[in-house]
Amino acid sequence: MGNSIQDSQAPSLLDKVKTSFRNQSVLLVATLVILGVVFQIASEGIFLTTGTLATVLNDWGSYILLAVAQTFVVITGGIDLSVGSTVSLSSVVAGWVLVQGLHLDSSISGDAAIPYVLLAVLVALLVGLTVGALNAFLINILKIVPFIATLATMGAMSGMAIIISGGMPLQGPNDFNLGIPYTVFGVQLPISTTVLTVLIITVIAGLYLHKTRFGLYTYALGSNPFATRAAGISPARHITKVYMLSGGLAGLAGAYAYIRLGAGSPSNGAGMELYAIAATVIGGVSLMGGVGRIIGIALGTLVLFTVQSGLLMVKVVQVSPSLKQVIVAILIAAAVAVQTLQKNGRK
Amino acid sequence: MPNKVIYEVRNVSKNYGAVVALDGASLKLHAGEVVGLVGDNGAGKSTLVKVLSGAHSPDGGEILLEGVERTWHNPKQALEAGIETLYQDSGLAPHLTVSQNVFLGREKFTKGIFGKLGFLAKKQMEAEAEADLQAVGIAFPSSNRPVSQLSGGQRQAVAIGRAVSWARKVLILDEPTNHLGARQAGEVLEVIKRAKKKGLGVIFISHTLPHVLEVTDRIVVLRLGKIVRDAPTSEYTADTLIGTITGTYGSDE
Ligand SMILES: Nc1ncnc2c1ncn2[C@@H]1O[C@H](COP(=O)(O)OP(=O)(O)O)[C@@H](O)[C@H]1O
Ligand SMILES: [Mg+2]
Repeated sequence: MGNSIQDSQAPSLLDKVKTSFRNQSVLLVATLVILGVVFQIASEGIFLTTGTLATVLNDWGSYILLAVAQTFVVITGGIDLSVGSTVSLSSVVAGWVLVQGLHLDSSISGDAAIPYVLLAVLVALLVGLTVGALNAFLINILKIVPFIATLATMGAMSGMAIIISGGMPLQGPNDFNLGIPYTVFGVQLPISTTVLTVLIITVIAGLYLHKTRFGLYTYALGSNPFATRAAGISPARHITKVYMLSGGLAGLAGAYAYIRLGAGSPSNGAGMELYAIAATVIGGVSLMGGVGRIIGIALGTLVLFTVQSGLLMVKVVQVSPSLKQVIVAILIAAAVAVQTLQKNGRK
Repeated sequence: MPNKVIYEVRNVSKNYGAVVALDGASLKLHAGEVVGLVGDNGAGKSTLVKVLSGAHSPDGGEILLEGVERTWHNPKQALEAGIETLYQDSGLAPHLTVSQNVFLGREKFTKGIFGKLGFLAKKQMEAEAEADLQAVGIAFPSSNRPVSQLSGGQRQAVAIGRAVSWARKVLILDEPTNHLGARQAGEVLEVIKRAKKKGLGVIFISHTLPHVLEVTDRIVVLRLGKIVRDAPTSEYTADTLIGTITGTYGSDE
């Protein structure tokens, strides 16, 4: 009672904490800290090591490009279910070009493989852009809603990946050093060339989303498509760009998978779309469109893989890999619930 | 009317499936003239607005800007020709800020290489949006606030300010005084008078008939997609205007 006047003048500490917890990034960082502590205890002290962090970041690298791709798409009010099979297809086509096209094999490794790895990246990128263009065509020209359009390409592309590869991984030239964490002055860092590259792409994508006209139109379209068109912007043209960006990033994620395994495999991207969507939702992107920030996505993806790696190290319960899917699904539901609570709290 | 005809539609029609929203409507707008467009809900006013603004293509009829026949394939073409529109609803993107809405489709870029890469001059646009809205003379909120955080009246102020400050030839306002209190509505009428003085052709849609009678030079009455009366404002009284809208007073049939 006595301090009610004070309360009305300055926000109390509790209010400040409440306000900052409505900020997605603060919430996610807090979650990471809690997860770190919990897993450290539950794993009897083996969780918080550079090695674990490197594993988490390597997984993070596999998925962050898809999460970023999904972010742009979901902010426009759409969804891209085809990103996982685009990873499969692009890695398979890259492998096919090297193995069947150029008759090379995995005996080429180290620095000698670098030109071929770059070729694989280029091929995978082109495959991804093509899938994106196909999605845009289905959405803009055939007027199919994104969910169904990308569901169709999802099925078609994973089928194509199996046909082209014959169902088997195509083992090609590779430089595995690209995925091995750096050691600087005898100290092992958790970052490898591939993770660093993906991190740079993520930062650039974030700048584009938040600082450029391309990003602005992405939000505008998800916020109010009628107003966007009325302002003289072509929704179809922007949709095309966004789905091609999504496809292109999925293609690069396919290249990441190729470099990680040294092979293009039709199972490289299986189920990845679920994780990508989970990461965006956990990262604070609204499936209704118009809302989301790249920093949230980066942290959301990190939460997802911290949980995954952590569960594998927990001594008391044996978490089977198939249980991972269930846990991801629970995380999606929890994240959406938190979003709803945050929104209601703001009112 | 001494001024030249700036914008004209002849015999435009528009159907939504089986609904005939516009049925052979013709309308002339002169430079420096305010035309009131009135009619019951569903009369076709907003549909005519969307045809005039390029948001919808008419099923038939002609559109002439300064005597030249034009076809709008999208709103951008009409905007570039100097026609600015405030839509009845959904004119703003709620997740964007005031200045982002004011500059949407007409962004300014930073100088140098980053500008070429598409980076936006955020601060500059915020300052200019603020100045533009101020010049229009409507109370407005700070320009870096998201529109979703504004009241209905504030949103309307932003939407009007945006339309008025960009308009070069024609200004179309579809129920601009909705969500506004008496004082703000009065400000909007002043804005319309100033736009007229600048030589713009203004189309003003409203259900508040005293406003229409106060600010317009001519009133066009739509009923069931047809124009039933087009006469100078001086030839209407409040009573005859209501009668014409509802169809109980001397229609042409
Ligand atoms: N997008 C649409 N789809 C179908 N019918 C519509 C659409 N927009 C308007 N209509 C119909 O067209 C008629 C005219 O509507 P409108 O132009 O909005 O009238 P007003 O603005 O005079 O109230 C109404 O019968 C309305 O229901
Ligand atoms: Mg209307």
